[in-house]
Amino acid sequence: MWGNYKMKKILLMLLFATFLFGGAILAATGGDQAKDDEYDEDEYGPADPIIWVKPVKSVVFEHKIHTMEAGLDCDSCHDDLFEMEAGVAEENDDFTMESLYDGGYCGSCHDGDTAFASDTRCTACHIGVRGHTRLVGEEEMPSH
Amino acid sequence: MKINDLEQLESEDITTLPSTERRTFLKMGLAVTGMYLSGTVLSLTTAGRVNAANVVPESGEYPYNPHYSMVMREHLCIDCERCKEACTKTNHVPSHGFRTTILEKRRSLGGDAYETIFVPVLCNHCNRPPCVRVCPTTATWKDEKTGIVVMEPSRCIGCKTCMAACPYNARYFKEETRAVDKCNFCLDTRLSKGETTTACAEACPADVRVFGNLADPDSRVFQLLHSPGTTVWVLRPETGAMPNVFYINS
Amino acid sequence: MEGNVTITSAPEAIKPAINRLMWLALFMIFIGVAGAVYAQIIGHHHAFANTREMPWGMLIGVYAYFAIISTGLCVLAAFSHVFGGNRMAPVANRMVWLSIMALLGAFTVIGLEIENPWRMPLGVILHPNVTSNIWWMGTLYGMAVGIMLLEFGLILTKRFTAAVIFGVLAAIAESLANSNLGSVFASLSSHPFWYGAQLPIFFLGSAVLSGAAAIVLFTHYSYILQKKEIGEYTFLSLQTAGKIMILMTFLVSVATGWKFANAYSGSEAMVMAADSLTSGPLSTNFWVFEIGIGLALPCLLLVVTRLKSVYVMSTAALMILVGQFFSRFNLVVSGEIVPANYGFVGVPQYFSYSPTVAEYLLVIAGFGVVGFGFLAGEWFLGKVFHHKVFHPHTDIDHH
Ligand code: HEC
Ligand code: HEC
Ligand code: HEC
Repeated sequence: MWGNYKMKKILLMLLFATFLFGGAILAATGGDQAKDDEYDEDEYGPADPIIWVKPVKSVVFEHKIHTMEAGLDCDSCHDDLFEMEAGVAEENDDFTMESLYDGGYCGSCHDGDTAFASDTRCTACHIGVRGHTRLVGEEEMPSH
Repeated sequence: MKINDLEQLESEDITTLPSTERRTFLKMGLAVTGMYLSGTVLSLTTAGRVNAANVVPESGEYPYNPHYSMVMREHLCIDCERCKEACTKTNHVPSHGFRTTILEKRRSLGGDAYETIFVPVLCNHCNRPPCVRVCPTTATWKDEKTGIVVMEPSRCIGCKTCMAACPYNARYFKEETRAVDKCNFCLDTRLSKGETTTACAEACPADVRVFGNLADPDSRVFQLLHSPGTTVWVLRPETGAMPNVFYINS
Repeated sequence: MEGNVTITSAPEAIKPAINRLMWLALFMIFIGVAGAVYAQIIGHHHAFANTREMPWGMLIGVYAYFAIISTGLCVLAAFSHVFGGNRMAPVANRMVWLSIMALLGAFTVIGLEIENPWRMPLGVILHPNVTSNIWWMGTLYGMAVGIMLLEFGLILTKRFTAAVIFGVLAAIAESLANSNLGSVFASLSSHPFWYGAQLPIFFLGSAVLSGAAAIVLFTHYSYILQKKEIGEYTFLSLQTAGKIMILMTFLVSVATGWKFANAYSGSEAMVMAADSLTSGPLSTNFWVFEIGIGLALPCLLLVVTRLKSVYVMSTAALMILVGQFFSRFNLVVSGEIVPANYGFVGVPQYFSYSPTVAEYLLVIAGFGVVGFGFLAGEWFLGKVFHHKVFHPHTDIDHH
């Protein structure tokens, strides 16, 4: 009997703990959402990721990571490295890894000093066809 | 007989056989079991022993020459899928199927962070291909010269056992030919026409796919697999298929 | 030519009933074949629910279902013919006939399931592959049909010694074919839940179970059709079959238990496959139909009623045959349901598979063939099936 009672007590405590953890998780997700709402496009640049499909599908750039999180100013990129218009860079013939390795475009920071080097962590920038489809959807996938 | 006498006796198990004799004995066993499991599709005596530490066959023990294989430099894959496009075009792969594709997995970097890894996959042209073993009409076999697993569509009855047997999901039923279709390292579309590499390897802008003859020590595939400090792995080694598509990270 | 060929037509009284049922069976075959033609025209790819990752579905299960019933009937018939003392001899001739019919049902389903059946006859002869279980299975089952037809001819012409020899040969061919069928699955190391030494022997066990159930069911239905009381000898035969059902439901349950114990001490893929049956998408199929209706309840019914009632035995047999149907389906699907790439992005925990209308139609064709075969047997061969007439063993004994 006593053992049984103890069992029940333990079960109750487990249940309680589960509730607590559940609450914590819920709270955490709630907090994240609040942060998203806080994101100010005027201060940090466009919220939507910029996606390039040329020369290869697909590379993603997020203002949020660079401005809000890494604390970069607008003029560290605009308008020396990039125009303030999505899709301009990908029209250039030299928008390639070669240029990045030579310090052009993203490579001016992603050189291993300011930020991680362009010849590492390929999939940090490259989301590929799969990532593209996930972000944009199948229909809008441009066919070459 | 006393214990002492017993100990004096020479053991009759195979450990006491001279090594050559032991090897022939083992080969006999392998040949017998091979008859059932893999039959004539492989000559087990030359299939190459795969030791525990290495999935690459010992050099000098490749069953074929050229022994075609592919090395994937996995971390470089960016899923641009130019390989898929090139394959589709070169080999007339219908939109409902694929001969090669890219898988995606995630590795946790702690906390919420993760890194994406793209994994290119295709037929592994196994040394012990389960698909070849199971086909009731020998519609698929290992090409005697190159070791490429080829298909003869006109023999395929469409029982799909090869599809079930393949550990790599490399086969699909192609309605256009009413037969199972699969990667053949572009044997008919390129290699036989004098090209030295597959369409997918040629199309890859990141130099992920390296195709070549593993039996040639000067080939790039051989060099990549045999350079010091390189970890080489294959997909689903537990199935015993002895694949010929290798993955490295350097 | 010694003896008379005893093909007779059914007694007038039962003709209308059989007649109507035969038309029904023919209709089932017709719509099944229509379904198959439709599937060929629009492509199996569209007509069936199978995919690249799950190339096999219900139809493979149904093929195995009929083939396994056939093996059971054939093996039990051979035992009865050889060792008449086991009391099943009075129904042994019907078992041989039904075994042939079940196999024809199996061939119908597999013939309509594969994509290019017309490439098969020449293909397996001109380009045989001795390492292929499918090849052996097809060859041996094909041989078995031939041998059993010969055997049946010998029974009809009362050459019983030869018939017994052919019966034994057929049983050997059937058993080997059956365990090759098991090995079709069991030798695929890419599917860990199938892989291993258990399946071939599990299939043989299931064969004995299904065969015993089938002979009880069909014999009972035959007597219902004829509106006759079951005679003493036949009843004793059915009781023997009943005992076999009790024994085999128990043994198959034990084997099933170990299969899961083994899976749960195996790799993640094995555990997931086992879960798909015990608590996943196949759990109703498994607990209610395969285990409950197919093994536990019939076993209980038979034990509790102590094999006294033909009706109970026949009901238990029906339940077993329903359970076996689900067992085959569950086996095929659970082996493929876990994606080999589980863990990769976008790969589900389980593939989903639910059979299409076309698949159900083909299954109906299979049942139509078996049903038609049964009825045709009652029509033309009723006398051969009747007890005390022509059982090889008694006739040999009394020579
Ligand atoms: C780390 C570099 C970087 C920083 C810092 C940066 N941007 Fe950008 N911005 C880009 C790139 C790259 C593009 C896309 C250019 C292209 O596609 O050619 C872009 C495009 C834009 C666009 C056009 C978007 C569209 O959809 O057309 C706007 C607006 C913009 N940036 C605003 C800002 C503002 C505001 C800031 C400062 C808060 C800022 N950017 C900081 C790199 C940067
Ligand atoms: C002005 C400097 C600068 C430029 C230009 C720049 N970045 Fe960054 N980037 C950073 C810094 C700083 C970080 C954060 C530190 C780090 O991760 O190394 C960062 C982080 C990132 C990350 C996040 C990596 C992670 O940890 O998940 C991505 C992705 C990225 N950059 C992509 C790009 C791309 C694509 C471009 C070119 C369009 C680009 N960046 C151009 C400075 C730059
Ligand atoms: C800092 C971000 C970043 C990283 C890291 C990065 N790339 Fe790129 N990559 C780009 C951008 C931007 C482009 C041009 C836009 C496009 O092609 O969509 C590009 C284009 C490419 C191209 C096509 C153009 C060319 O140079 O041939 C290839 C191939 C490529 N990358 C491979 C790689 C590989 C392999 C790695 C890892 C070793 C890598 N990239 C890492 C940003 C990056």
